[in-house]
Amino acid sequence: MNYGFDTSYTSYGAGGAGGGGFIPGEGSQQSPSGRKEFAQETLRPVTIKQLHDAQQIHEQEITIDGSPISQLTFVGQIRNISNLTTNITYKLDDGTGSIEVKLWVNPENADGPNSSRAKLEEGAYCRVWGKLKIFNGKKHVSSHILRPVEDYNEISYHFLEATYVHLYLTRGPPGGAAASGGAALNGGYGQQAGGGDYGGTDLGSFSAVAKKVFKHLRETPQTNEGLHQQDIAAQLGIDVADVARAGDDLLAGGLIYTTVDDQTWAVLEAD
Amino acid sequence: MEHPQTPRILAPHLNSFQHKLVRMVGKVVQLRGDTAVIDAGGNVNVVLNRDTHLAVNRFVEIIGKVEGNLHVKVQAATDFGTDIGIDINAITAVVEATHRHKEIFYDMD
Repeated sequence: MNYGFDTSYTSYGAGGAGGGGFIPGEGSQQSPSGRKEFAQETLRPVTIKQLHDAQQIHEQEITIDGSPISQLTFVGQIRNISNLTTNITYKLDDGTGSIEVKLWVNPENADGPNSSRAKLEEGAYCRVWGKLKIFNGKKHVSSHILRPVEDYNEISYHFLEATYVHLYLTRGPPGGAAASGGAALNGGYGQQAGGGDYGGTDLGSFSAVAKKVFKHLRETPQTNEGLHQQDIAAQLGIDVADVARAGDDLLAGGLIYTTVDDQTWAVLEAD
Repeated sequence: MEHPQTPRILAPHLNSFQHKLVRMVGKVVQLRGDTAVIDAGGNVNVVLNRDTHLAVNRFVEIIGKVEGNLHVKVQAATDFGTDIGIDINAITAVVEATHRHKEIFYDMD
């Protein structure tokens, strides 16, 4: 079967067009009893770390961010290549982790005019489409298509797309109410009414110090790195240990997040 | 052989990643024998190994260890071409996403 390397390459920027072509082929290989609805077939952009963090619910179902996965796509740098009789095994590293990708080679097309295979050398970036498999607790990706990355912006594009999908699945669509932790917030971040408020956030269950720290983080001009706990402590005249404890509570409550290190925080805005 | 995580960073993050392995994209601004300066959201001094061949004005992705003096000791480098082909804003956005949503990018130790 010809998966059309060239067409899928030129159309990768056009959303699902590149991925659509091979999903029906994959579906036809499933046994009738294990057939899933096509509506459940998805193509998820992921990082390799997400593959290692994936949960196996039962034999046929693996989830990432609580949502079942089927087809996956990611980019990575080739670290090792093993030519085996039935497949070529590539070890890929994307900076978040590494994983083996088994590229199944159709014997009839093995020597076909496939010039892109030659560019899949050690050190090169490539994009993979495939499925996550778990054998004896060890994960690998089973793939029918792997092609070299020729525009390095595709690497940035992939990681931003993977972040977008991760946030969509864990927090809901942009602009909507947060999918999780919504109980603690009343969604009124944007409406700043009068002074001394907490931007509409319900801080009722937090300590007085935590309220002060959160207010300070909200109101102090800062870069997107946020503020360091020692600066907060100095400016509020509160002991660093108390600020650290308040920060832990706010982190646990999902109101702030850590930026460049564990001690630097910024307000988690639902923007 | 295992390949450890290499979080993507830029110059402002060097301090937080001392003695750690990182990944950084920058433009080569100066070559001085076995060291070089790359612009990755600020100038960064990099210490080259024998296998690294950089060229001024080209973008490069380096994997290296951040030393105590905030120099980066290069272990591997990949040429990313010239600035005609590279969107710096996208690279900066990826670094920001990496640290803001680290749960899908790297583990804290």
